[in-house]
Amino acid sequence: MAWHHRILNIVRSNRISRDIEREMAFHIAERVDDLRQSGMSEQQAHRVARLQFGNEATQREHTRGVDVAEWVQSVAGDARYAVRSLLHSPVFAIVTIASLGLGIGANTTIFTLLDAVMLRQLAVPRPEQLAYMSFSATRETPQGRAQGAGSSAADFFTNPLWEQIRDRQNAFSAVTAFGETDFNLADGGEARRIPGTYVSGDFFTTFAVTPAAGRLFTRADDVRGCAGSVILSYRFWQREFGARADAVGRVIRLTGHPFEISGVAAEWFRGPDVGSESNVYVPICAQAVIRGPQHSLDHRSNWWLRILGRLAPDVDVRQAGARLAAIARPSYEETVPQHWRDEDKQQYVTRSFFVRSAERGFSEIRSRYGSALLALMAGVALILLIACANVANLLLSRAEARHRELAIRLAIGAGRRRLLRQLLTESVVLALTGAVVGLAVAHFGTRALVALIAMPGVSGAVSLDLALNLRLLAFTILVATFTVVLCGLFPAWRATRVSAQAAMKAQARGVIEGHTRFRLGKALVVAQVALSLVLVVSAGFLIGTFRNLSRLNPGFAAEGVLLATVDLRRTNIAPEGIASLHRQVFDRVRGLPGIISASSSDLTPVGNSSWNDEIVIDGFTPRTMEDALTWFNEVSEGYFATMKTRIIAGRDFDATDVPGAGKVAIVNDAWGRKFFGNGSPVGRQFRLRDRQPLTPPYTIVGVVENAAYRSLRESVEPTAYVAQSQNATPGPVTTLELRAQGDPTTVIPAVRTAIGEAHSAITIDFKPLARQLADSLQRERVLAVLSGLFGSVALALAILGLYGVTSYSVARRRNELGVRIALGAVRARVVRLVLGEVGVVVAIGVIVGAVAARIAATQVAPFLYGTQPSDPMVYASAAALLGIVALIAGLIPAWRAARVDPIEALREQ
Amino acid sequence: MARGRNDILQGTLALLVLRTLSVSGPMHGYAITSQIQMVSADLLRVEEGSLYPALHRMEQDGWLKSTWGVTEKNREARFYSITAKGRRQLAEEEESWSRLTEGVSRVLRYA
Repeated sequence: MAWHHRILNIVRSNRISRDIEREMAFHIAERVDDLRQSGMSEQQAHRVARLQFGNEATQREHTRGVDVAEWVQSVAGDARYAVRSLLHSPVFAIVTIASLGLGIGANTTIFTLLDAVMLRQLAVPRPEQLAYMSFSATRETPQGRAQGAGSSAADFFTNPLWEQIRDRQNAFSAVTAFGETDFNLADGGEARRIPGTYVSGDFFTTFAVTPAAGRLFTRADDVRGCAGSVILSYRFWQREFGARADAVGRVIRLTGHPFEISGVAAEWFRGPDVGSESNVYVPICAQAVIRGPQHSLDHRSNWWLRILGRLAPDVDVRQAGARLAAIARPSYEETVPQHWRDEDKQQYVTRSFFVRSAERGFSEIRSRYGSALLALMAGVALILLIACANVANLLLSRAEARHRELAIRLAIGAGRRRLLRQLLTESVVLALTGAVVGLAVAHFGTRALVALIAMPGVSGAVSLDLALNLRLLAFTILVATFTVVLCGLFPAWRATRVSAQAAMKAQARGVIEGHTRFRLGKALVVAQVALSLVLVVSAGFLIGTFRNLSRLNPGFAAEGVLLATVDLRRTNIAPEGIASLHRQVFDRVRGLPGIISASSSDLTPVGNSSWNDEIVIDGFTPRTMEDALTWFNEVSEGYFATMKTRIIAGRDFDATDVPGAGKVAIVNDAWGRKFFGNGSPVGRQFRLRDRQPLTPPYTIVGVVENAAYRSLRESVEPTAYVAQSQNATPGPVTTLELRAQGDPTTVIPAVRTAIGEAHSAITIDFKPLARQLADSLQRERVLAVLSGLFGSVALALAILGLYGVTSYSVARRRNELGVRIALGAVRARVVRLVLGEVGVVVAIGVIVGAVAARIAATQVAPFLYGTQPSDPMVYASAAALLGIVALIAGLIPAWRAARVDPIEALREQ
Repeated sequence: MARGRNDILQGTLALLVLRTLSVSGPMHGYAITSQIQMVSADLLRVEEGSLYPALHRMEQDGWLKSTWGVTEKNREARFYSITAKGRRQLAEEEESWSRLTEGVSRVLRYA
């Protein structure tokens, strides 16, 4: 019946009921008349007529059932039936829902992050009007990798250059510069750092931010010589001030300097950096308040500000670029760094400006994790495919098991479409339940994942808006629907294709089974094995990379070392007193119980800062500027002993290395080999170029083994260490390396007290060196953990599929196996028979998978370290792992097959 | 309700109803049962429980159409009549029926 008739029937359902009642009443009345004519009493006639008609109500239902909606009205019934029949096979239901839930959940999790980090526009009004400036025409690193907005060195400007741009530009209706920093809220003792941003006066105007309390900055707030004023982020205001309105006008101390709270930004504003949000915003001019004379407001080669503007009406990104290029020359000419070499100065003034869209904001997370997220997305998509294959296989088996039931129902007149609909309803129920489970998985998964990728450093917590949005919801529903159609429709279509005849034949089981559905099941398992091999191989590479990096000998022993960064700036001590206060701090700490050895240094390995300089060596002519580049650190006596970095030749710094004596340096092995080949560098000299005139010569007194400097990934760089003891005017910040017995964090309280006794206003940051190393491997760890997880899930799903198909095959071949055993087949042979079948499936899957994995491996190649995407060992181990697990999955049904009792099996016929 | 040997074979009911209506013109359900019973000399009896669902199904399939009318006893009844599509269906069913009976009788005769 056409669908509109059905709808009409529902609408008319009452009328139809009435019609049927009237018709039956008429029939009974006629019958009663007849019966009475044949001499029955009226009462008896009524009784007989009714009896003959059968139960009136049942009859009405029957008649009506034909009329009204098998379709609409029984959908609820179908759903009820589906739920009931699923409850009858809980294992099937749980495995299916779990497979779907995992697949959908993993996809939604990764997509939530992908959406928040990569796809979503910045949550500000008209984000499409935003554009950022850069002085580089390309977005590629020398390695050819695309860089995210605001992550390239060419996206940063000096303050003098910014002032030129601000005053000359006519491309933006509003333009702002901003630079990230961190502030210390504590007044002494252990530091309490919060992320902050220096912003130009038009910052909030550019983003069209409204105040939640008080007022926001205007250009009048950002003028040289300004007093300290601060705008709080909404979340900081909530956390620190309970969102009280009287916070405005109060004073907070940032790194020891008083700042008056002018206002609070709107709740929706999370700043231009997706994933990291500043807690406080202070005007750029206030850098002079915080840093005093060391501010970079007039510094012409301190690149720390990013520039972002709102395009003026009728100006597009291209036109804006052209307008800014027009002001480039005068802007650069006014701001040439005076101490640069002439050729660098000439290159400087020829730079231009480029403009690119910033509608999705900047993001360090995006540049760190963007490609990783895409790789993970591909991984979870594979998981979903495997899960779907699993579900399809389960549904197929289930449909097969109901073959007879379906055949009988078809034979007694059930419509094929009716059966299809019922099977499909079951799939929909499964998919919806799976989607709900998936959303729950995603809810917790995203939060767990965000915790996992928390950025090291001050702005530790990742601030992302992970609320469910419509795009995400649509995506989940899409995935669920896709799953239903793929997993539900096909088995349903197959299941009802049986002819009653075939089904009847199937009743009289032959000895050999038909293999039609079986081939499909096997094909699905082959696909599963192949897909999971791809994930297992990728996991192998990524876990291997993480293992290689974490097992790498960094050239020092991080375990047991506590870094304590000591900041004397708050003590207001005169520069000439710094060295002696450092000495005092160092002597107090070194004597503490539990500390084996102590040293101090300017920089720490794999930390956030680095120092390089060009060196000049007699007889060495650098080919390029980079060729003469050396990485530096200033360390105390005992640094190498504390770090357990071996001294290969020469000596450590000692008491003879004082400010007045000749400058000395210790170099690493790589430095020695680079500049002096195989000859020993001890006793040789070098100078630093970057001072005018050249520095006095440094004499090399020792050579140490290579140690990681900027990151574990970089190949070891030529490094030179100079003596802290020779620096007559050390900076106010230095880091102590404290090697402790056992867990280094246990000495923190004692160290804090000891330093507090030296001077109460000293600020300290503690961090175990091992954690600093671990933080630097965070992305690798996340990829290793997640790919390992994905690989395991994929493997588990594939094995489940393999087990299902094998058990099913054994069950169906019971008769055949019985005959074989009866005819004298040895049980071991039966086991071999079954395992052979498993072997074929796995072998094909592995071959197909290896080819696919090789292609996938080139995609993850940029993440790898110490392993090649073609490394045969990884493929072999992944295949072996799969093989072993598959063997175990096959053994259970094989063992069951061997135990088939021939008499029982044959009697069943 | 006793199930006698004269219960109507599954599938032949439509044939009987169509035939009856095509010969006798519009009839209500009760009249159809009486007619079949009478013409078959009580050999066939139509059960009410099968008749009405069958009538409604045939109406949906477009073989019959129905209207409400008044009987000679002044009762309201639903009168069924055969449609053109119903006549085509009847021809088909008669054809297959005669083939079936011929087949069966041949078997009975020669097998």
